[in-house]
Amino acid sequence: MNLKLTTALAAGAFVLLGGVAQAAAEKVTVTGEVIDTWCYYSGVMGWYDTVVGSAHHTCAMWCAAGGIPVGILADDGTVYMVMKWEGDPNIADGTAMLDVQSHRVTAEGMLHKVDDINYLMVSEVTSNEGITNLSHEDFGIVPGFAFPDPNKQ
Amino acid sequence: MNRIMIAALAALIAAPAGAQDFSEGSEAKNWNLAHGETKARFEAKVTDAVCAFTGDCPEDCGAGLRQMVLQRVADGKTLLVFKNIQPIFSGGSYDLAAYCGQTVTVDGLIVGDPEVTKGAEIMQVQTVTVAGETAKTNQFTKGWEARTPEPIGEKGPWFRRDPLIQERLDTTGYFGLGKEEDAKYAEENF
Repeated sequence: MNLKLTTALAAGAFVLLGGVAQAAAEKVTVTGEVIDTWCYYSGVMGWYDTVVGSAHHTCAMWCAAGGIPVGILADDGTVYMVMKWEGDPNIADGTAMLDVQSHRVTAEGMLHKVDDINYLMVSEVTSNEGITNLSHEDFGIVPGFAFPDPNKQ
Repeated sequence: MNRIMIAALAALIAAPAGAQDFSEGSEAKNWNLAHGETKARFEAKVTDAVCAFTGDCPEDCGAGLRQMVLQRVADGKTLLVFKNIQPIFSGGSYDLAAYCGQTVTVDGLIVGDPEVTKGAEIMQVQTVTVAGETAKTNQFTKGWEARTPEPIGEKGPWFRRDPLIQERLDTTGYFGLGKEEDAKYAEENF
């Protein structure tokens, strides 16, 4: 179990303020791999284990820079969608998170679980183990065109 | 009390009734995605996720820098926008931020295997319709050009020309493990 609830507030309740449904939040600590969520959920580039780790590192950077939501895939399979990174909400251009794509991190922040999506406002990254999932050893590069043919450059 | 609030209250009161079908009237194009896809067209209020959940609400929803959500009028459900219509590794933030605070009709695909998404609706928005005008969600590249004054080279897709990405590739390589790993892969595969 790598999700530790350090504080629990009235989970499940909603507070309606200013016309916007605001979910009650929990302070959490999450450990997992920083992933590209579109490729993971859609299967557009391959099966689940091929679109994580080192095999998918370049594509994950492309998607993060392209504004596709970045997630943290915990060991139990739960995906946490990152909405802030170290307190910064301006993350959809990916620049704040390029250097952690495919890395295994531990992050603290507020979790808003709304309609079965885990929205995580990361306040602090407390550890970064780097890339530990060496998926390229099994799958090469995914997608294949991410690694340009050096003979054609 | 606006329609979003009424729908949200109704959703809280009502017992869960399973996933609704929003495919009627959809003109979305299939992408033949491996983990499944369902067409979906519905009316929703557009806002950014940080605003929706914390009350920190800039007037422009972050102008493309914040992740965007859709608050569906029919059932009050909140969906995260994962993708726009362009097949170039692009999300939907730039496209949806243009409609910040508005109630629009979105058309696209809800994707994924329900056993993996576990109830989450993963939305690709292909078009946005407001006041009878329909626009494709194809504005990412314009946003990238605006924030990238010195792209690499003069032609090619944005992700090959982005200097921030290339800087990482030049230092940590295509696997993120260093240039030696790249060289080893190239020797074995090309």
